[in-house]
Amino acid sequence: MAVNEDYALPCGRDVDTIWDRLDRDTDEHDQDCPHCRTAREGLLALRSATRELIDEPDPTPPDLLGRIMSAVRAEVRRGQMLDLASAEPGGVAVSTQAIAVVLRYAADSAGGVRARRVRVRQVGVDAAGAAQVAAELTLTVRLGNSAGAETLARVRELVSAAATARVGITLVSLNLLVEDVYEDGE
Amino acid sequence: MKGGAVTTTSVPLDDATLVSRARDGDVRAYEQLVLRYQGLMFRLALKMLHHRGDAEDVVQEVFLSVWRKLGQLHDDHAFVGWLYRSTTNRCLNVIRARKPQADVDLELAESPRRDAQPEHAAQVSGQLEALNSALQTLTPQQRACWLLREVHGRSYDEIGEIVGANPTAVRGRIARARAQLAEVMKAWR
Repeated sequence: MAVNEDYALPCGRDVDTIWDRLDRDTDEHDQDCPHCRTAREGLLALRSATRELIDEPDPTPPDLLGRIMSAVRAEVRRGQMLDLASAEPGGVAVSTQAIAVVLRYAADSAGGVRARRVRVRQVGVDAAGAAQVAAELTLTVRLGNSAGAETLARVRELVSAAATARVGITLVSLNLLVEDVYEDGE
Repeated sequence: MKGGAVTTTSVPLDDATLVSRARDGDVRAYEQLVLRYQGLMFRLALKMLHHRGDAEDVVQEVFLSVWRKLGQLHDDHAFVGWLYRSTTNRCLNVIRARKPQADVDLELAESPRRDAQPEHAAQVSGQLEALNSALQTLTPQQRACWLLREVHGRSYDEIGEIVGANPTAVRGRIARARAQLAEVMKAWR
């Protein structure tokens, strides 16, 4: 390869070839050629220093996570606000993002499944003035989950119940889409 | 963790799940991703820039801009590659913006904060010091390719994607870097 020609040794071998051969048995040329021997020494030293570099303790400053997350939180997107039924004047609203969090948690608690994207959309208003909501959940299912249909039925039940009991909205439709699988330990 | 237990299930979630949730605006899911990858990105930036403060700034900017642009990421599995690309590019920009002499004056460059880890400071070997200085003599592009390959274990194809070059050019840069570093390291054998 042209790019390596700069690093050809006077004997004709190039540094890359010697690097690739570092762990193999040396042949006669490796042992006799002074150029190859010197290059080999340098590469062995480089490899040992590289291992040291990799093994250095994690240098991350302890406050970096906090700095990053406060910058991120300053830009949180709240999403659309939906009205809830309220007997009091003034009204109560909840963000679609907050609803998504509750629904995702409910889906996760079914076991063997993880919620990914949640789309929450208002489709109407009921007699009490509360938003009627259509939701779509994208899921990933644990590989080897043989009771897929039962799991999804449980997800449907838990998510609908959470929408009513924990948020106070009624789901008029709930679509579940399985888009991926994951393995234990992943 | 304080607050809701939404993304703090006992089993750590896979990247793709966390990325989809973060894209939905789930800050806690994003926090898990930051926690998982900030160390790798900081390490890369520190070795690229040889300056702790600059490396911190780069990593903070990377994670903030990735959060802003999460909606543009179409493949949830591409997240780590995206982080590497963003970190590498920002480091190269910082180096480009530096005054020419600042890049070569190693004596003035801030070295890793030793006072914070005295037990480690004592152990930093001459060999490692030599490698750290030798790294700064490579071109920034060579240094990026070498670090991504030898320290971060990325493939030639992945590095090509990260630095925007074909795998053959990447292989060439790494070969040059290796030959140059080996030349310096001979003294430590």
